[in-house]
Amino acid sequence: MKSIRAIGRMVIIGIIIVIIVIAGVVGYYLTLPTGPTVKDTLVMGTTDSVETNLDPAHAYDYFGWEIIRSLGAGLVDYEPGATGPSDIIADLATDWSVSSDGLNWTFTLRQGVKYDDGTEFNATHVKYSFDRNIQMADPNGAFLGLGFADIIRDIIVVDTYTVRFDLSIPFGPFLSLIAGQECVMVDPKYATMHGSSWNATDAVYYTEGDPRASNPMGLGPYTLANWTRVAGKDTTMKLVANPNYWGASAGIPKTKNIIIQFYADSSTLALAIQGGEIDVAFRQLTVTDIKTMQSNTNLQVWQGTGAFIQYLCLQERYAPFNETNIRKAVGAAINRTLIVSTVFQGQAQNLYTMIPIGMSGHKDVFQNLGDPNYTRTQELLAVYGFNATNKFTFTLWYETSGHYPQSLQQATVLKASMEASGVITVNLQSLEWAAMGSARNAGTMEAFIYGWYPDYIDPDDYIQPFLQTSGGTWLNLNYSNLEMDQLIEWARGNTTDSVRNTLYEQIQDLMVTDSPIIPIYQGSAYAVTSLKVKGVYLDITQNWRHWLVYIEQ
Amino acid sequence: MILILLTMVFLLIRVLPGDPVMLHFEKNANPVAVEQMRHQLGLDKPLWQQYFDYLLGIFRGDLGLSMQDYSSVGQQIFSAFPATLELAIYSMIIAASLGIFLGVQASKAYNRPQDHVIRIFGIVTYAIPVFFLGMVLQLTLGIGLHWLPVGQRFNPTIGIPQSPWYVDLNTPFSTALIPSLFKITSVHLSTGLYTFDSLLEGNIFKFVESLRYLCLPSLTLGLVLSGVFIRLTRSNMFETLRLDFVTAARARGLRETRVTYGYALRNAFLPVLTMVGLQFAALLGGAVLTETTFSWPGLGRYIVDRINFRDYTAIQGAVIVFGLFVSIVSLAVDLLYAYLDPRIRL
Repeated sequence: MKSIRAIGRMVIIGIIIVIIVIAGVVGYYLTLPTGPTVKDTLVMGTTDSVETNLDPAHAYDYFGWEIIRSLGAGLVDYEPGATGPSDIIADLATDWSVSSDGLNWTFTLRQGVKYDDGTEFNATHVKYSFDRNIQMADPNGAFLGLGFADIIRDIIVVDTYTVRFDLSIPFGPFLSLIAGQECVMVDPKYATMHGSSWNATDAVYYTEGDPRASNPMGLGPYTLANWTRVAGKDTTMKLVANPNYWGASAGIPKTKNIIIQFYADSSTLALAIQGGEIDVAFRQLTVTDIKTMQSNTNLQVWQGTGAFIQYLCLQERYAPFNETNIRKAVGAAINRTLIVSTVFQGQAQNLYTMIPIGMSGHKDVFQNLGDPNYTRTQELLAVYGFNATNKFTFTLWYETSGHYPQSLQQATVLKASMEASGVITVNLQSLEWAAMGSARNAGTMEAFIYGWYPDYIDPDDYIQPFLQTSGGTWLNLNYSNLEMDQLIEWARGNTTDSVRNTLYEQIQDLMVTDSPIIPIYQGSAYAVTSLKVKGVYLDITQNWRHWLVYIEQ
Repeated sequence: MILILLTMVFLLIRVLPGDPVMLHFEKNANPVAVEQMRHQLGLDKPLWQQYFDYLLGIFRGDLGLSMQDYSSVGQQIFSAFPATLELAIYSMIIAASLGIFLGVQASKAYNRPQDHVIRIFGIVTYAIPVFFLGMVLQLTLGIGLHWLPVGQRFNPTIGIPQSPWYVDLNTPFSTALIPSLFKITSVHLSTGLYTFDSLLEGNIFKFVESLRYLCLPSLTLGLVLSGVFIRLTRSNMFETLRLDFVTAARARGLRETRVTYGYALRNAFLPVLTMVGLQFAALLGGAVLTETTFSWPGLGRYIVDRINFRDYTAIQGAVIVFGLFVSIVSLAVDLLYAYLDPRIRL
C-alpha cells in the first residue's frame, strides 16, 4: 500500500516537472523577440573599452576615439583607404585655403548641417569646440599633450559659414592635426561650462542610464542609444543612425544599428566570432587566432595597413650606448625578417625607418645598416675590443602586461638574432607595464623595446617625438643633435609636400648616422567578419568606420 | 581584520614600482599637468596623511575616486558586485550539491568501482585550471554544439532585466528626505542579479537568457570547486555511516535515503559547511580567472584591470569588499552551525 502511494506521489511530481519544463520552453519561444532583420543590426565584438570618457577634450584612447568619430564630425577627415596627409577630404568644411606664410587657415563650412537635436551647425560651433578644448587643457587630453595652445593663436568667426585659424607658428601638418578625433565638434548644449572659465572638470563623463548626456557630440552618422559600463569597463553599447546626419541622403550610415559587445580577452572574442555570436571581431585577436581563421571558410579576414610601430630604444646617458658605433653595431644585428615571420607569422612588416611604410616621406634607411649584417656588427664592436671570446653584453628590457603584442616572443627572437652575430650577449629582463613606465622616466633601462600609436597621420608624429631634443624628453634617452632639431623644425613649419619630403629624407639619413632608436616592425591591422559583411576599410588612420560597414542582404 | 588587510594593501601597492599619474601620460608628459594631477589625486601628500585621509573616508562610507577615470570607486564596485555575487551563488550551488551528492555516493560504495570513479573525478576537477576547463566547455558546449553563449553576461539585443518596482523620488516626502539627489526622479529596486530581476519583471524569456549566459561560467567554477566537497563529504560520511545511531536507524526499518541524508549527512555536514565558508574565499579568487575567461563583468576583472593601472583607490576598495564578503559568509556559516548542531546552542 505504502509503496503504491509512494509511486503515485512520484508520478504526480514527475507530471508537475514535465508541465513546468514544457511551459518554460513554450514560454521561451513565445517570448522570443522577432526583432529587426539581420541587415539592420550588426553586432561587433572587441576587447577594447572606452578608457575614460567620450569627450574629445579628454579622451585619448583608441576605442574612445573610434566612437567619438562615429558620433561626431570634424572639419576634415581621411578618405577611406587613406595612406597619409594627401588623402584628407572635406567633412564639415567644404573648402579651405592657407596663407602664403602658413599662418592663416580659412575654412568654408558646409551649410544645412544639423545636430541630432535639430540645431543648425555654424562657424560659432567651430570656435566654441576648439576654444573649449584648448582652454580646458585637460591633463589627459590630446590638446595639452599635442600642444594645440602653442600652435593655434586664435580662431576667428569670419561669417556664419567661414572660420579662420590664426596660428602662432607655421605648422605643416595642420590639416592632419585637425583631422584627429580630438578636433570633432561638440554641441554647446551638452558641453557646458560650469564655472566662469573652462576647467578640466567640465569634461563630459559617462552618466548611467543617459547615453545622450554621456557624450557632447551630435553631428556624426550615429547617435549613442545605449551605453552600459560596469566598474569603469564597457559591457555593451548601441549606436543608432542619426536621422539628422548630413550624409544620410547618401545612405550613410549603411547599417542602422550597431551593437558593440566587449570581451575580456582575445580568446573569448575569437570564440564568439567563430561561434557566430558576433558579425565582426576587431581588436585584438592574437596572431594564432588570425592564422586559424584565415583557413576558416565561414569567416573572412580583412587585412590592412597598421600605423603601429615598435622600435628598440638605446639609453645614451651612460656607457656603452653613449657610443654611436655601439648603437649601430646593435642595429646591424637585428634580423627583422626572422621576427616578422616567427613572432608575427607574417602579420607585420619589416620596418627600416620610423615613418611607416606607405606614408609620404618614408625611406628605408636602416636597410643599409644591415638586416642583419653580422660582419658589420663584428667590425664595429672589434674597435671597442669586443669579439667572440670577449662578447659585448647588455640587458634588454621588455614589458609583460600585454600592452604590446607578443612582447616576450619579440624579445626572445631579438636576443637570438643579435647573439647570432657571435659577438653579442643579451640578457633579457621584463617589467610589467606600469613599472616599465617608471623605469623609462628614471632612465634606468639601457635598452628596451617600445611602441607607438600615432596621434595624427603625418610623418611629423613619427619623427618629432623621438628625434627632436624637446619632443623626445618623454623617452628620456638623452639624444640631442642640433642639426636634427633644425631639420625637424623646418619640416614642421613648411606646408609644401615636396619640400617636406626632402627634409624628411635628410632627417632619416641622419637618424641612421646617429642610430638613437632602431625601428623593428610595423604592425598590420586585422579584422575578422562573417562572410556577408562588407564595407570594411583598414587603412593607416586606424579609424574603424562603423558607418560604412554593412551586412549584405 | 579588515583594517589589517586594508593597511597591508595600502602599503603593498605603493611599494610596487609604477606611478598611477605617469600612466596617464604615456607619451608627452607636461610637468605642470603631472603636478596638477598628482595634487588632484592627493598623491602629493605624505604617505601617513594619505593613509589617514583614506581611513577617514572609509568610516564615512566613501571609498574615494578612481585614479584612472575619477569616478566613484564605491559606485563602480557597487555596479560590478552583483555579477560576481550571482556567479558565486550559482557556482557554490553547483559545487556543493554535486560535491555532496557524489561524496555520499562514494562513501556508500566505499572501495568499489563507483567510489574509484568518483574519487578520480574529484581529483581531476580539483586539479584542473579554471581557464582550461572554461575553454574546453566553451569549445564543446559553445562552439561545437551551439547550445550556450561563450561569454558575456546577457544578450545584447534585449534590455537587461529590471524589476518593475521603483521608488518615486518626486513625492513631497522623499524630496524633503533626499533633496534633489543627482536629479534622479526614481530608483529601481533591482538587485543586479539578472536571474532574480527577470523573475521580478515576470519575463521568462529574460530569465532563460540570463541562465543560459550563467551556465558556462558557473559550471566551470562549480566543477572546479566540487572536488573538495567530494573528498570531504566522502571521508566524513564514511566515518558517520559506521556509527551506532546509523545502524540503529537502519534496524528500525527507515528507508536508506532517509538514513543517509536525514541522519548521517546531517551529522557529517558540519565540516562540509566549514568548507563552504572557506571555499567562498577560493571562489572569489577563482572568479578573477573565470570572469576573464568568460568576459563576465564582475569584481575579479575589475581588480586585475585596476592593478595594471596602479589605481590605488580602486584596488583598496575592491579588496575591502572582498574581505567584507568573506567575513560575512564566515559569520553566516557560524550562525548556521547553531541551527544544524543543537550542542552549539547550549
